[in-house]
Amino acid sequence: MGDDYTRLWTYRLKWLYTLLVVFTLMLPVFYVIYISFNQNGFGARDYVFTLEWYGDIFSDLLLMNALGNTMLLAAITMLAAVPLGLIAASFYKATEAKLLTVTLLLSPLFVPADILGSALLVFFKNLNIACATVGEWLGISWFDTWFELGYFSALVGLIIYTIPYIFVVILITMGRYKEQQSEAARSCGATAWQAFYQVEFPQIRAGVFSACAFTLILTFNEYTRTSLLKGGYDTITSVLISQMLNEGMSEQSYAMSSLISFIAIAVIGSIILYTLVHTDRLDREARAKAQPLMST
Amino acid sequence: MGGSDITAPIPAARLRLQRRLSRALFLLPIIFMLVFFALPLALTVVWSVFERTMFWMKPGFTLFAYENFFFSARLENFLSSMMHSSVSVVVSFVLGFPIAVFVRRRIPQVAQHRVILLFILPFMVSEIIRIFALRPVLQRTGLVNTVLLELGVISEPITAILYTPMGVIIGEVMSFLPFIVFAGFLAMEAVPKYIFEICDDLGAPRHRVFLDVILPLAAPGIFAGGVFIFVNGLGVALLPNILGGPGAVNAGLIATQAISALDFPLAMAVSAIMMATLLGLLYLGHRLFDLTRILSPIN
Repeated sequence: MGDDYTRLWTYRLKWLYTLLVVFTLMLPVFYVIYISFNQNGFGARDYVFTLEWYGDIFSDLLLMNALGNTMLLAAITMLAAVPLGLIAASFYKATEAKLLTVTLLLSPLFVPADILGSALLVFFKNLNIACATVGEWLGISWFDTWFELGYFSALVGLIIYTIPYIFVVILITMGRYKEQQSEAARSCGATAWQAFYQVEFPQIRAGVFSACAFTLILTFNEYTRTSLLKGGYDTITSVLISQMLNEGMSEQSYAMSSLISFIAIAVIGSIILYTLVHTDRLDREARAKAQPLMST
Repeated sequence: MGGSDITAPIPAARLRLQRRLSRALFLLPIIFMLVFFALPLALTVVWSVFERTMFWMKPGFTLFAYENFFFSARLENFLSSMMHSSVSVVVSFVLGFPIAVFVRRRIPQVAQHRVILLFILPFMVSEIIRIFALRPVLQRTGLVNTVLLELGVISEPITAILYTPMGVIIGEVMSFLPFIVFAGFLAMEAVPKYIFEICDDLGAPRHRVFLDVILPLAAPGIFAGGVFIFVNGLGVALLPNILGGPGAVNAGLIATQAISALDFPLAMAVSAIMMATLLGLLYLGHRLFDLTRILSPIN
């Protein structure tokens, strides 16, 4: 009972079901991409292939400006959040208070975007008022604008959003690292930093890089928190949403949605491919090393 | 970082300073999360009892915001969005959890992570695009209706899918299904493969294996995945905003609408109620299944 060979067809059906679910989840996105190449737009009887709508995007100055803002924000978030997540993961491995640490770092997953965004918005507005009041009282004004809504507040919201993912990804890769190697390095006279950078980091590099890619994509895609906290400037998703809500789904918004999805799929797809190839290679190397032992 | 400073003696004072600095650096993420995450969420309770002014709020004590929430259509909306969210949790579990069991049970250990990796792909496409993309799919002239009409399954387009609670539920399932697969996959770590072999040897029927073996062992992970979907179904404003009809409002939408109406105490009250719901659920789950068991794979 329950043998893959006696029940090959149920096994195949289960595989089919799994792939079907992934396909169904992706279907709306594929459909949007399909529409974006149609000259006649959504719902038209004839399908005429065109790249016209994509051309429109790149000539839209507002949009290009928003793209620049988004990329800048994504890059800054990555540079700030990934080191924080890395430190948090090392802290988690060293600390006694594991439960408290992990709860604090993972709970942002459970707080919905709009709730966290609203709370942070009011928090920053209050901080700003407090700073202005204290500044007035002391007669100085140089920290009046520190906490105004803008890049910094959006950055804080995005770090809190991405840090659980970074923490988990890095922690999983750190699980394979043996702490004794750092101890050996330290007892050979390396400083803590050398032991980390020259011994531990090369072994967790894959995790750190995938955390970086993850952060870039999550930040690039994020709408709710950014739009609540960003202040005056535009990001790509806020432009897209306002376009969709004001004009309905226009041809251009189909093209824009597809473009953003393409970027994400390309980045994640290449990471998945790389991981598959890389783990295959590691497997083969490990097997090659084990071969002489097994043959004797 | 050349090899020379390995042997170079370091003055004691500098060493002490270094140690203190590195300890401060170590605590940086924790301090960051306390100041910018735990503190604002805790303060929502304080701000929710402030008095509303024209454009902002002023310190005081009034329960007006809560009154405004509990004695209006908002409560009704909140409760019905809880209903829809619960339906989404059940549907996601029924559709997604068998995949986690299948992958853990039938796929070789080395390949398991790769299959799970597939479910990251939809999650990596922007949420707003995935939700908006459901409109052309589910619309009156959309993909689903066109295909069903062509196949002759229906004679006229179904209009009851989009802009109804049904649309919101479909949107929630499409958005959050990967999470129940991830959570289920982690949860199934608690069910070693040999247990299935023992069950097979003892001739246990399939439903008994599922109810008496898999469910109790994987309960903490399943619960965490379920809470995630439930809370996000309540809190993500885009879902009812884009897919729901006129009456579809959830907590997230109430909060963001209050913010655009400059009613900050109301927004904070909604946030506080959401946090109370979340903490209550997590406490309940912890009492029932001991949620710390989920963390065993990363320890």
